[in-house]
Amino acid sequence: MPAVDQSPANRSLRSARLRTRVTLALAIAILIPSMYGFAGKFYEFLHLVRGESDGAFAVAPILNYLLASGGFLLLLLWATANGMFHDIERPKHTLLDREQQLDAAQRRK
Amino acid sequence: MSAAETRSEEITPPQDLVDTRLVLWYFVAACVFLLISMLGGILMALQLVHWNPLAGLELFSPGRWRMIHTNAVAYGFLANAFLGALHWAVPRLTMHRVASQALSYFIFLAWQAIVLLTAAGVVLGPSFQDQAWVAEASRNLGISMSLGAQGLEWGETPFWIDPVALLGLLLVAVNFMVPIAKAKGPLYVTLWYFMAAFVWTFLTYAMGNLLPEYTVAGTSAGAIGGLFIHDLVGLFVTPLGWGLMYYFVPIMLQRPIWSHGLSLVGFWGLAFFYPLQGIHHFLYTPIPMFLQHGAIISTIAVELVVTTVVINFFGTLWGQGRAFVDNLPIRWFYTGMIYYFLTCLQCSMQVTLTFQKLIHFTDWVVGHAHLVMFGVFSMWLFGVMTYLIPRLLNRPWYSHKLCEWHFWLSAAGVLVMASDLILAGVFQGYFWAALQPWDVSVVASQPFWITRVFAGLAMFGGFLCFLYNFWMTWSARSHV
Repeated sequence: MPAVDQSPANRSLRSARLRTRVTLALAIAILIPSMYGFAGKFYEFLHLVRGESDGAFAVAPILNYLLASGGFLLLLLWATANGMFHDIERPKHTLLDREQQLDAAQRRK
Repeated sequence: MSAAETRSEEITPPQDLVDTRLVLWYFVAACVFLLISMLGGILMALQLVHWNPLAGLELFSPGRWRMIHTNAVAYGFLANAFLGALHWAVPRLTMHRVASQALSYFIFLAWQAIVLLTAAGVVLGPSFQDQAWVAEASRNLGISMSLGAQGLEWGETPFWIDPVALLGLLLVAVNFMVPIAKAKGPLYVTLWYFMAAFVWTFLTYAMGNLLPEYTVAGTSAGAIGGLFIHDLVGLFVTPLGWGLMYYFVPIMLQRPIWSHGLSLVGFWGLAFFYPLQGIHHFLYTPIPMFLQHGAIISTIAVELVVTTVVINFFGTLWGQGRAFVDNLPIRWFYTGMIYYFLTCLQCSMQVTLTFQKLIHFTDWVVGHAHLVMFGVFSMWLFGVMTYLIPRLLNRPWYSHKLCEWHFWLSAAGVLVMASDLILAGVFQGYFWAALQPWDVSVVASQPFWITRVFAGLAMFGGFLCFLYNFWMTWSARSHV
């Protein structure tokens, strides 16, 4: 049986793969049922607006939600288009680098 | 921008980035309001065991004190402590100062005035309501002139303060969004949470304080009220709280968050599923059932989102579990996270119609609220203060033992209080379901309410330890 490469680089690669898989699995597990539930309820709402007096009643809270969520959908699209999620793990390292520099600068003062 | 590029950047000295004096002032203001809020809570608890020390004083009647208790904790303690922490975290995350230091000080003073005027309105408003000039002004201006509290939980801020508070929130957003806009490269998850909080808090406050007052009425206003109550927790307190955790936990553990990608799943999940769930406060009301069902579904979706966040933080702690014991701020943070997970689990059960039949209007809800607001967000902020105050004063804590007492009295006190009230809620629910007279449930609640007094006193005692420690640490500094 070939020996498993235990070098730090390989461990780091495996850890990154695990993170990616867990992130994708949780994203799918959350987003699909949630979107399904939401879409179903929204479909019901459209029927209500057209057919029943209750529909008009519900317009205010739904509009509130759509205005807020619509804004965030646009923000999500903008962020994706501007490469905010291109190297998705980088910001967490940048944070620690900056903190170390700031603390070092503080000590030098 | 890579890490190497960051290193080569000209680093602004931290003392030029962060106004430590202002951070400290915010923390002091937060502590003053928490002291008032906790005193209000104790008075309420004493009143329920028939020992109201202020009986007969109209201005300090329990109904008014209760509003002081909730408003002082939300707008006095949490908002001030968050603003202080933001003044530390945002400049260090973005490497840019806030938009204007003068504006920061103006906001600080204006916010204290808003909270104090709210308290004045709540306490004094009803007593002045019958004055002739009030009725005359109402006639002349053509608007309701309710000097006291507005009739909405957590939206009691009198109507004449609402526009000023909204302006204040707008200025807060501008002051912090400028440095965030200047930040280069992909944003760290904390900044996503902060940006969302600035937008959401403004919109939520406007929705809850203006729409039911001036436009929608009746049950429709009830639906808006439900959204407001819950969005104030989920869209003001939650994003700021988690944003701070994503900032402080990695720098204290000296290791990055386990998965930044997963943290973004948590953020966007909150963004899309949270805003609709507030109506779960009004299940079994005349609000259309499809809206109630929508609120239930989005609540359960948010609980899944919360699970990802908790997994991410415990993944970060993995292999450094000793920090939970040795590092006090980390202990505050992770204890708060455990309580957060428990409270969200509880939430996903209590929003079901079956559960609501039993616990609606009972002390279960009060226990849940204390677990969230004290057990989670207040404990996180205590952790932030425990970490930052020695750095701000440039001195270690006067007494580490008092820090430990603060933690244990708070953590144990809130756990006892929440468990006690949750259990009381179940008993009350069964009494009502069995169609027992109201008095029977009140008498049966006494042991729970007495326990609540002692749990509250323990939490208050812990906070007094913190205040004394803070004072002694500060005084020691001035003698250097």
